[in-house]
Amino acid sequence: MRLQGIGKRYGGGSWVLSDVDLRLSDGDVVAVVGGNGAGKSTLLRLLVGLTRPTVGSVLERPATVGAVGYVPDRFPQHDRMSARSYLTHMGRVRGLRTNLAQRKADELLDRLALVGGADTALRALSKGNAQKVALAQALVVAPRLLVLDEPWSGLDVSAHAVLGEIIGEVRRDGGCVVFTDHRTVVAAAHATRVYRISGGRLAEDEHERRELAGVELCRVTADAVDLAVLPGVVDVRARGDVMVVTVADAECDAVLGAALAGGWSVHAVRRTAVRS
Amino acid sequence: MIALVRYTLSTVLLSQRYLPPVLVFLAGLLVFTGADDNGPLLPDYAVGTAGVFICGIWLTVVTINAPDPVQRSITVVNGGGSGRVLAASVWVAALWCAFIGVIGLLYPLTVGHHPVDPAVLVLGALAELTSACTGIALGLLCSRLVVRRTGISILAALAAVLLFVLVPGVPPVHPVFQLLAAARPASAILWQVVLFSLVSVALLAASTMCTRFVADRRD
Repeated sequence: MRLQGIGKRYGGGSWVLSDVDLRLSDGDVVAVVGGNGAGKSTLLRLLVGLTRPTVGSVLERPATVGAVGYVPDRFPQHDRMSARSYLTHMGRVRGLRTNLAQRKADELLDRLALVGGADTALRALSKGNAQKVALAQALVVAPRLLVLDEPWSGLDVSAHAVLGEIIGEVRRDGGCVVFTDHRTVVAAAHATRVYRISGGRLAEDEHERRELAGVELCRVTADAVDLAVLPGVVDVRARGDVMVVTVADAECDAVLGAALAGGWSVHAVRRTAVRS
Repeated sequence: MIALVRYTLSTVLLSQRYLPPVLVFLAGLLVFTGADDNGPLLPDYAVGTAGVFICGIWLTVVTINAPDPVQRSITVVNGGGSGRVLAASVWVAALWCAFIGVIGLLYPLTVGHHPVDPAVLVLGALAELTSACTGIALGLLCSRLVVRRTGISILAALAAVLLFVLVPGVPPVHPVFQLLAAARPASAILWQVVLFSLVSVALLAASTMCTRFVADRRD
């Protein structure tokens, strides 16, 4: 899939994007970083076909119904429909038969550990759990192109690990993934390429391949601080009793200090670059 | 397309926003259709036709505005394009109009004592088809896809109702309404009503294309 000479503006306003070229090949995981209002979401909407470029063209987008999965940055929560029934509907809309759509819905909600159960109305879900439903609807059919807007914000630690796995699976199956994040360390940890948007222009960012460190921590107190919210933390995975934390190397000491003060004990630290 | 229609219909049903227009339609039918009425059936069908027109606009706006814009954008990606999602909304609005339309056709038969003439039933159905298509066409243009602000949307819908129901000579709803109210023999006015129903179908097609164009341009 290719974006060629894309420019976008709404009405007669100023250009949100200009001269954007992007080529996506099978197995690519592309991160797009940039400040608020830089045009990240507009780029994603162009990729999935929700908006048309003012100039330039989008070529070779997967055309079959259900081939594109899109997860917006917020998921509206005033629907009386239950999570399971919403996902079943979306599965059918993407071409699945009812019983298969139901099975996929249950599998995904199970995997993402939806709190409150699959029959809870969407509007009764917390923001994090609604975001899990938003992620699940993009995956009821394995997407050829998975587009995620700020997927790490709002998901809890266990879901972070699942999200990492899911990105890996789409990539292994020959699909490509594009996501945005405002934290460059997160982007660098999961992506094969990192792009930065500023001033409406998109440029590949080589500097974002920062060094990462691996820290293993054990919980000491029951009310230990949530590791995922510490600045510099890229990824948190549980391995038995040990939490395996990937952090930006520059932030490693700060994270260790905060973790020790917050009820964790250091199990191991690896300062060599670990790329996931 | 069936999956999209099912999903759209469930969204409207669960939002319960269909209730006000359906209740207004039933109330209108109850008030304006005489009980123990022995006269001709067509003036009664004029009431149903006006009701289907007004509630058709309302139900169309409800159908399109029920899902949040973000939810709609997810549906557009999953369903393979904004055109398909819009078409599903039009089908759902048409199903609602068919539902109230059938009630509008049968209710006068159950409360009054009318000789049942198939030609009159066909005429009533065609008249309701005309007002349903025109109503959906105007509802699309008053929906969030075209008019963002709720206040302006309501004003636009009211203006549309006044223009199409009250101003003489504006096709196709007002002339049909007059033909039915005049209680002339069914065979005499049938071809005219057929003509107006064709006009309304053309209006619906034009409005759907226009709505799609405006909505896509704005995104």
